[in-house]
Amino acid sequence: MARRVAIVSVGMDKFASRKVETVDEMVYRVAKNALDNAKLPREAIGAVVFGCAVDAFTATQAAEKVAIGGAGGRLRPTMRNCTSGSTAISTPILGYLHVASGLYDVVMCVCFEKMSECRPHAQHVFNTVYDEYFVRPIGLNVAIQCSLEARMYLRRYGNTELQMAKVSVKNHGNALDNPYAQLGKKLTVEDVMNSPCISWPVKLLDTSPTTDGARAVIFASEDVARDITDDPIWVKGIGRGGDSCWFTGRRNSDLARLDYAYYAAKQAYEMANIEDPSQEIDVAEVYDPFTYKEMQHVEALGLCPEGGAGRMIDEGISLREGKLPVNPSGGLLGEGNPIGAGMSRLCWAYLQIKGQAGGCQVPKDVNTAVCNGWGGMYQYNAVMVIGRD
Amino acid sequence: MENQSQPIKLQGSIEISYEWSAGVAGSRFFQEIRDNKRIMGTKCPKCGRVLVPPRIFCEECFVDVEEWVEVSSKGELVTFGESYLGTDGSKLKEPWIVGIIRLDGADGGLIHYIGEARPEELKIGMRMEAVFNEKRNGNILDIKHFRPSK
Repeated sequence: MARRVAIVSVGMDKFASRKVETVDEMVYRVAKNALDNAKLPREAIGAVVFGCAVDAFTATQAAEKVAIGGAGGRLRPTMRNCTSGSTAISTPILGYLHVASGLYDVVMCVCFEKMSECRPHAQHVFNTVYDEYFVRPIGLNVAIQCSLEARMYLRRYGNTELQMAKVSVKNHGNALDNPYAQLGKKLTVEDVMNSPCISWPVKLLDTSPTTDGARAVIFASEDVARDITDDPIWVKGIGRGGDSCWFTGRRNSDLARLDYAYYAAKQAYEMANIEDPSQEIDVAEVYDPFTYKEMQHVEALGLCPEGGAGRMIDEGISLREGKLPVNPSGGLLGEGNPIGAGMSRLCWAYLQIKGQAGGCQVPKDVNTAVCNGWGGMYQYNAVMVIGRD
Repeated sequence: MENQSQPIKLQGSIEISYEWSAGVAGSRFFQEIRDNKRIMGTKCPKCGRVLVPPRIFCEECFVDVEEWVEVSSKGELVTFGESYLGTDGSKLKEPWIVGIIRLDGADGGLIHYIGEARPEELKIGMRMEAVFNEKRNGNILDIKHFRPSK
């Protein structure tokens, strides 16, 4: 039987469109911050788990190898994880598994991405994620990839561009209170609707920026967690789902419905004994590289009925002061989107439960939170539920 | 630290070329398009799905798939996207359009350019047909684009 695992600390640093720090230096700052917050010495680390989604951003294969020193991992077992964008949450799941297995008592989990260094733009690297036979020759880019999905989603459920715009206003606004955010902005729905159309229905302000940044999370076994902190936050549930890359021919080729995300959420909630997430989850930090992805994810995570994401934002339920706040930190849209370091969603879920979210703190009791990550060719989702006993 | 001089930037580039195998299924698929303007799928002996793009196995039944069948070059528009950003991120005055077309006689389809139509003329579910290039080289671009059926 797996051991119980707690999160005992997180390490934060500012996200920015371009950081002077190297990957090693970015990783050091968050790992050191996490150790300091837990009052732990480097020697306490039993193993290090890295997450980085795309080596090509820095053009260094096995990019994590430069960061072993910065993560406090010298002469420790290290392992790197990658499941495209869902690296953001599948990496802490791997960190959890290291501890739950009984092999390590304290695990440093570090996610990083440095997107600013390829020329002329990160978009050129994104173009290499597609298969070389059927997709890449067409010249697909992320903008159109998302447009194909978003168009189906809006059509199937009757949700609208206007509701997408409201998500953008919410998350960019929330990020104004996030000291680590890259893109806090006070926006109106009109600003979003009038921003340049990237690929209908996605406009510029429906998208997240490219970002440099890193995050750290320290996991500890039940045996040692209470020695480190009086208030450990427990990992309650984990779930992952991966679907076939052959999205035009796989059994569910309906891009409007993220079967793999529903599947991942179901696992996590069953493990956490959560029957109705819309009632039992206090706050959610969901993967929102585009506004409509937050909408798809709140549905897949059961925070509203399937197709109900439009109503959720219309009724203000997902606002910071709403009944079920979603991305009170600003999400990827407002805080920045350094793909793997989207683990920030988990960090903010933790800070909310701890009552340490500062200006982003939601005005209610928080005991249970959920976060997720998404990636691949409409393929991956990873979900983690954390909370107090 | 704050008063340090400007950060130093190091420059470099990596150029690597590739020669990809189109695979067992893909080689036959592209050969049929190149030589005969035929779009082929493979049929699962167990669930009966006709796989396009073709595979040598069914990922549901997990069995070998060896029977080849011709499918139509016409089908239905599943979804589409138009973009004012080129593949390289450059801004475009006129949008380009990509769509997913589910082909008649197949359980799947292809992602490809949509041509001979403006975005506002397109609708999910409309009938589409493939237009083949005169000169064909054995790759997916032997299909020039899909257009609304005439």
